[in-house]
Amino acid sequence: MKESYATLDSTAHPLAGQTLTGASIIVQVLADEGVQTVFGYSGGAILPTYDAIFVYNQTQSQGGGQRMPLVVPANEQAAGFMAAGYARASGKVGVCIVTSGPGATNTVTPVRDCMADSIPIVVVCGQVGTSAIGSDAFQEAPVAAIMGSVAKHVFLVTDPTKLEATVRTAFEIARTGRPGPVVIDVPKDVQNWQGVFQGSGRLPMAGYRQRMNRLARSVLGEAQATQFFDLLAQSERPLIYAGGGVINGGATKALREFSREFNIPIVTTLMGLGVDDTTHPLSMRMLGMHGAAFANYAVDDCDFLITLGARFDDRVAGNPPKFARHAKHIAQIDIDASEINKVKNVHWHHVGLLPEALHALISHGRRTRFSRDWTPWLKHCADMKAAHPMNYDRESPLIQPYYVIEEINRLTGGEAIIATGVGQHQMWAAQYFDFKSPRLWLTSGSMGTMGFGLPAAIGAKFAHPERLVIDIDGDGSIRMNLGELETVTTYDLAVKVVLLNNFGDGMVRQWQKLFYKGRMSASDKSLHKKDFVKAAQADGFRFAVRLDRKEDVPRVVKEFIEFPGPAFLEVVIDPDAGVYPMVGPGQAYDAMITGDHIVSRTEPVVAEPGASEMF
Amino acid sequence: MTTRKRHIISILLQNEVGALTRVAGLFSTRGYNIESLNVSATDDPTVSRLTLVTTGTDAVVSQIVNQSLKLVDVVNVDDVTRDQHVERELLLLKLRLGTSQVGAVRAAVERAGGRILADDVESFLIELTDSESQISRFIAHMAQFGEVLEVVRSGALAVLRGTQTLHVT
Repeated sequence: MKESYATLDSTAHPLAGQTLTGASIIVQVLADEGVQTVFGYSGGAILPTYDAIFVYNQTQSQGGGQRMPLVVPANEQAAGFMAAGYARASGKVGVCIVTSGPGATNTVTPVRDCMADSIPIVVVCGQVGTSAIGSDAFQEAPVAAIMGSVAKHVFLVTDPTKLEATVRTAFEIARTGRPGPVVIDVPKDVQNWQGVFQGSGRLPMAGYRQRMNRLARSVLGEAQATQFFDLLAQSERPLIYAGGGVINGGATKALREFSREFNIPIVTTLMGLGVDDTTHPLSMRMLGMHGAAFANYAVDDCDFLITLGARFDDRVAGNPPKFARHAKHIAQIDIDASEINKVKNVHWHHVGLLPEALHALISHGRRTRFSRDWTPWLKHCADMKAAHPMNYDRESPLIQPYYVIEEINRLTGGEAIIATGVGQHQMWAAQYFDFKSPRLWLTSGSMGTMGFGLPAAIGAKFAHPERLVIDIDGDGSIRMNLGELETVTTYDLAVKVVLLNNFGDGMVRQWQKLFYKGRMSASDKSLHKKDFVKAAQADGFRFAVRLDRKEDVPRVVKEFIEFPGPAFLEVVIDPDAGVYPMVGPGQAYDAMITGDHIVSRTEPVVAEPGASEMF
Repeated sequence: MTTRKRHIISILLQNEVGALTRVAGLFSTRGYNIESLNVSATDDPTVSRLTLVTTGTDAVVSQIVNQSLKLVDVVNVDDVTRDQHVERELLLLKLRLGTSQVGAVRAAVERAGGRILADDVESFLIELTDSESQISRFIAHMAQFGEVLEVVRSGALAVLRGTQTLHVT
């Protein structure tokens, strides 16, 4: 696929033919790609591009055009997570611009995080001049080599005439197929280079584009649909297992239509929260290691599992042979061929775009007047929801974290954007919040990066200034990017930060209690002197409150949510609160521990995982 | 499914920074050794051809093939050992020989279909093209006649029989 760089017609870019610097070309392509906010931190090797953004915004202001605000974090890692939060909440490509060396290496974690959760971002890194690359120059790092192993793709631009096409192509790669992060490493002399702006043109990527075209053209045909409905007709207990791919693929509506049309209940992964309205009767909420007991029972009981944009990862199928053990058949639709039969062999699959595939199945079902009565199974699911609901110690004098989340959820009603760090608070939020639509739940699912929540919430707030954005955080996680509290107030963002403080790394402690005979190695922080409320006040939070009396919870939570502007709420929670249910690592669902307050249908067995199963 | 066997993977790759590293990384990440790797130009100056030999289970190798198809630089990939194919490797072998061995070595090279590129007994240089296993056998055989100074092998090259090619149309 070759595109002509020379043909300029009436639809040509208004700046086509003008001489621009490499830096201005980068900024212009960002604007052309629809980038509205850029997150990043300046430094020597990226100075030309930062200057170009300044000039661009000045020109736009004078001409009454759209500016491209530059949001500056305390640390580049947070810039990456802001871009990720922006992308997750909006579905658009997030952009992060950093300098060479430490600036670039600080974004390795968010880049890997985005890769693991299939989130489209573009990271532009400054690099030392082309003649200095490889000479151990000041602030030099081998970005192409480092990022090559963690990103969807990385470009090192050494030929300035290819810069424009490279930036444009980076966006194409980030958002097509299975989305992911793309890194562009731009030496300083390439940013300072002057050349003619073409206004169009991309790099040739014969193989990639052919594969993308093949995906787009991949039709779920009649024969395949017939096979699917044969399996469905044989089934008495069908269950949809939906993952983040449904959200990334823009298939939420199609999925709900499919589920309602044929009356099939849905469990979702952590990344799939929001694909179905969690308050809908067919929603069986989240499955997996910390999934709802009724969700995991449904997986154990189903005889036909329909996998949509999900990948049987180890937090879902810790023991693959025993996962969905009574499923006579498993079906799978994914955009990524390498996910088919990777962990669990399936009986029917389709590689292609989810909305199209689901619509093909829906119309086949309607045309053939497919109809099955699954009343006993649906009743069984409803009964399980009623018999094994999420629950906790409601009589405890200590503040239970679940209670706080329930109180917030009562006010937000499944409409708020919720970002989290990683650990117990993340799982509690996944279990106790409702999500009525997709892109409300922002969490580091696969990588499990502590410190994700606060910067992701900031990025989401820039994407949706009108929406309520809440960061549910833990004391361990929030410390990792605590510097970003200041970013919240600097930009006067009405982000709500909830710190569920249990004075330690709660999830680590939970594992130590279960599997390490209670030896709390390096996980207890009860002697730490940190005063989080003072820290928030020092960063300019006018609402910074510590909540430590149970009877105050409803009132303070309401004041916190209703406060106009940045708000920080530290809740001193029961330090022994655990995350239940729990399926131990490497265990099957029948080994699920439900704790003291969720009714189990079997006797719990606490099995110590093998050493290789730890985390 | 679980038996490990030898696979020859052919890959067409765009000539971009780090492309080779990313392909190699897919194998090393899964703990798979790359037994040989050949990279060279094709008729298209922007595209190189890699031929990679590894040993593993069919399931994991086909997964790696699928994952390498996700790399943006990869134009196309195929496991040529899945079908009828031709496999060849080039050997350059440098030996130190006693004068009395030269006749026997000449005869052996001729039998194997190789060529003698230099006949100085101190640095006797032989070229041979054959399958990987035949080359290994030939080297072992030659070691009986003199001291092996240097072994230079191209790694396996392979192509599918028939009209099928790796090219993307």
